Amino acid sequence: MESIKDDAIHNTAMKLAEELKNLSIYKSIYSDVQKLVSSPNVNKEDFKQSLQQAMKEKGLDTKLRNTVFHWVRTQGKQSKLDPLTSLSKASLQWEKRIHKSLNSMCSDLETSLAKIRSQSEQEELTEKWNELSTYSLDLSKYRPVYAPKDFLDVLLTLSGYVPFTREDEPKWEFSHLPLQVKNLEQLRKIYVEWSNGEPLLGVNPNMPSTVPGFATLEAERIGLGERVSALGYAPVIQEFLKKGSPQCLRAKLWSQVLGAEVKQQQIAYFNQLQKSVLEVDLMIDKLIFKDVQLTASNDDQYFVFEDLLYQVMLCFSRDGEVLSRARSSALTVPVRGRNERTAFPPSGVVPFHGFTMYATPFCYLYDDPVQLYYIFRGFYIRYWHRLHYISTHPQGIVSLCLLYERLLEAHEPLLWIHFRNININPIRVVFKWIMRAFSGHLPPDQLLLLWDAILGYDCLEVLPLLAVAILSFRKENIFQVNTLQNVDAVLADLSTISVVPLLQLALMKS
Amino acid sequence: MNQDTKKTAVTLYGRVNVPQERCRVNFCTDMEKSVLMSNFERRSWHQVSQDDEWNFYWASTQTCRNLFSVESGYRMNDNQMINHFPNHYELSRKDLLVKNIKRYRKDLEREGSPLAEKAEVVLHGGQVVTRYVHLDFIPVTFVLPADYNMFVEEYRKSPQSTWIMKPCGKSQGTGIFLINKLSKLKKWSREAKAPFHPQLSKESYVISRYIDNPLLIGGKKFDLRLYVLVTSFRPLKAYLFQLGFCRFCTVKYDTSVTELDNMYVHLTNVSVQKHGGDYNSIHGGKMSVQNLRLFLEGTRGRAVTETLFASIQWLIVHSLKAVSSVMANDRHCYECYGYDIIIDNQLKPWLVEVNASPSLTSTTVNDRIMKYKLIDNMLSVVLPPDGIPDVRWNKVPNSESLGNFDLLIDEEFIDKDDGTNIGGRSVKHSKK
Ligand SMILES: Nc1ncnc2c1ncn2[C@@H]1O[C@H](COP(=O)(O)OP(=O)(O)OP(=O)(O)O)[C@@H](O)[C@H]1O
Repeated sequence: MESIKDDAIHNTAMKLAEELKNLSIYKSIYSDVQKLVSSPNVNKEDFKQSLQQAMKEKGLDTKLRNTVFHWVRTQGKQSKLDPLTSLSKASLQWEKRIHKSLNSMCSDLETSLAKIRSQSEQEELTEKWNELSTYSLDLSKYRPVYAPKDFLDVLLTLSGYVPFTREDEPKWEFSHLPLQVKNLEQLRKIYVEWSNGEPLLGVNPNMPSTVPGFATLEAERIGLGERVSALGYAPVIQEFLKKGSPQCLRAKLWSQVLGAEVKQQQIAYFNQLQKSVLEVDLMIDKLIFKDVQLTASNDDQYFVFEDLLYQVMLCFSRDGEVLSRARSSALTVPVRGRNERTAFPPSGVVPFHGFTMYATPFCYLYDDPVQLYYIFRGFYIRYWHRLHYISTHPQGIVSLCLLYERLLEAHEPLLWIHFRNININPIRVVFKWIMRAFSGHLPPDQLLLLWDAILGYDCLEVLPLLAVAILSFRKENIFQVNTLQNVDAVLADLSTISVVPLLQLALMKS
Repeated sequence: MNQDTKKTAVTLYGRVNVPQERCRVNFCTDMEKSVLMSNFERRSWHQVSQDDEWNFYWASTQTCRNLFSVESGYRMNDNQMINHFPNHYELSRKDLLVKNIKRYRKDLEREGSPLAEKAEVVLHGGQVVTRYVHLDFIPVTFVLPADYNMFVEEYRKSPQSTWIMKPCGKSQGTGIFLINKLSKLKKWSREAKAPFHPQLSKESYVISRYIDNPLLIGGKKFDLRLYVLVTSFRPLKAYLFQLGFCRFCTVKYDTSVTELDNMYVHLTNVSVQKHGGDYNSIHGGKMSVQNLRLFLEGTRGRAVTETLFASIQWLIVHSLKAVSSVMANDRHCYECYGYDIIIDNQLKPWLVEVNASPSLTSTTVNDRIMKYKLIDNMLSVVLPPDGIPDVRWNKVPNSESLGNFDLLIDEEFIDKDDGTNIGGRSVKHSKK
């Protein structure tokens, strides 16, 4: 018995060791260990013990643990075949549609999807790299390829693929899809700190601390946060984030949890992406410019960060690692003026209207484009891509919509009936919130608290839960109105919403 | 807060209700701005003309001065209030503000107050100069032509620095220019004194050290507009509105000499920026102070952010104390000032100017919401709980009626307590 277990551990360790060798970080760890071995701290007699001790002291131990932690996270994600083949078919069709509309936009505008930039263009772009808002482009003919509303319309046809829809039920419900989602009881078990009513940041920072030595909850969280950050062990930091991060530590903690710290290698890679933007003109670039203009540039919370966002979003489109880690395939197209083909876009991501919003809130944490880039990319690869692709993944947009529907029906039955009576599909009024993870809808301080919870619990279920909580909070006003337009008006301004108390209230047993 | 006010704060919950029918307030206004009118309407006040029996006058500074002038012979009764102090210009005129602050520092120095402590500091150009440690919150400034010689002396200490010239009596950026050579100033004064500009020669200017290292966000310069409500100067009672904003330039900051005359780079006034091709009318180049705080805490850390905001409060309190002895502290008056502050890249705030009639025009939707709240909260702070102007009231609003205002200082309570928290350093921080 013992030996079997030992064998298993041994095998896993061997496999892990093999895998680590393939990681980019391996070389630097290896040379660090070599240096340690030749230092006086490690002696031959007690080699294993003294090396382990020295690795601990030098922080190599934490580095190794974090590497394993991040590696484990990337496993098991390789897209296995979607069990609902109907959904994967729908997903394929949708992507075909996107590409078709890109192509037709291209021929309408008589341009090509990819072409080499002229020398003068390259120079101008290089010169204006830090203030791309002054880079003049005629974008009047460019339109976002699709908006959340279009995507929702596609999702709403999904239940049509399922053969056993009952006649008497409205066709629009996601509940026809044979997917498993959690109920509120199960959510309570996940968000256990919240449902137990533990003190959280985002309610009242001045509330007295229960820990001796700290005057307020905020002071307590800062004290604890500084300690976990110094320790630098990603799973512990993740645990810490469950109860909210103080704004002053967030930048550090988020990059530690995501393993998105910027080193020489990351800077070089980013420069590579920049170079590729400067050299090749993708039609996507115009869409990116357009999207930043339509969203961030017109928003009083984000306009100051406009130039930063152009850089980040353009580089993102060139990042092949996004393609390999979040997507599986992309179109390849020829590059005009060069004898080669490129994945189009290299990241595989065609931005929709508001895509930039996935990155904007990070501007309140990082003013360096490279740091901003890696955090945004980290979030995208872990979470955001699930919000705009069709899949049956429990964290995917379809499951989240279904969860929203179930929660609303179960816990706000009167609202549910009201929506039915006025013949409005309740997903319509919240879909853009969920698809954009509330970015652009909540003020940045509230949004950052919400995203703490996403990272801390490592799941997206808070999004539909918050949507239901907001509806429930505004239900008296919703009952007063009976058109989609008026319901939208009731829900348009979320500037007074306090995210954490609302969510905690929903999760605590009444 | 003393025990009594605390008690009323607890018992009186919710907004102070304005008695609707019983005694209507008659108001009079020199400007029918919508944020004003909608607030008066919401309180069911009744509009009358200047010659009628008014209780509440929203007046221009000119009207206010006329009313208080000896010749007018107008005497206000106990149920009348007006929105300016008769000699607000002690604070709002650029030259007088400087004069008052200089005098205030000298007086403290003479008294041997620790507040007037001086120390040598190294400017970022490398020169060593002596500055006040706690009261160095306005850029070195001289009035021209009067202080010309003093200016030249200061200029020689660091000839490479840039100076900003501003006419004392103008606003909205008119007549402002930058100078980096003495010869340019000489040329200007020759031209100004020329016989065909007689009106210019009488006009006085202030010349201030140009803050050439402003804090930039997204590469752009900005200044802060904060609202400060004063209900009395002796004892000093002042409140700071939490919802101030930052005004951004539309183009990147650039200190190169070629850009010295480009006012879109250097002046943050909305009135200037509006004419730039890049002005965006949806956000109007304005970002809230709360978001500035969030950004600074996120990118620079908490301690420096807290220090910055504490220094801003400190600066406001001492600028008010600097004029409190010369202000005509009429019981009928209160005033809402627009403070213009620039933050430099060391996160040190500098007072640029105080406006006695901050603009109530709304440039954007959010601007309108914010200014509506400003007026609403202001009314509930300056009026007694029953909503009827009454100068016999003790001017101690309960905490509910403060709305988005934070108490900056109330000398009445400092005196009653123990007198230790002189100044603004110990006042509570804005609730977040
Ligand atoms: N010492 C200084 N250093 C740097 N910039 C300054 C300085 N003084 C003024 N400025 C810039 O110039 C602008 C105009 O200055 P100021 O507010 O004093 O002039 P004004 O014409 O009276 O404007 P307002 O309309 O606010 O009354 C400020 O908003 C600020 O951006």
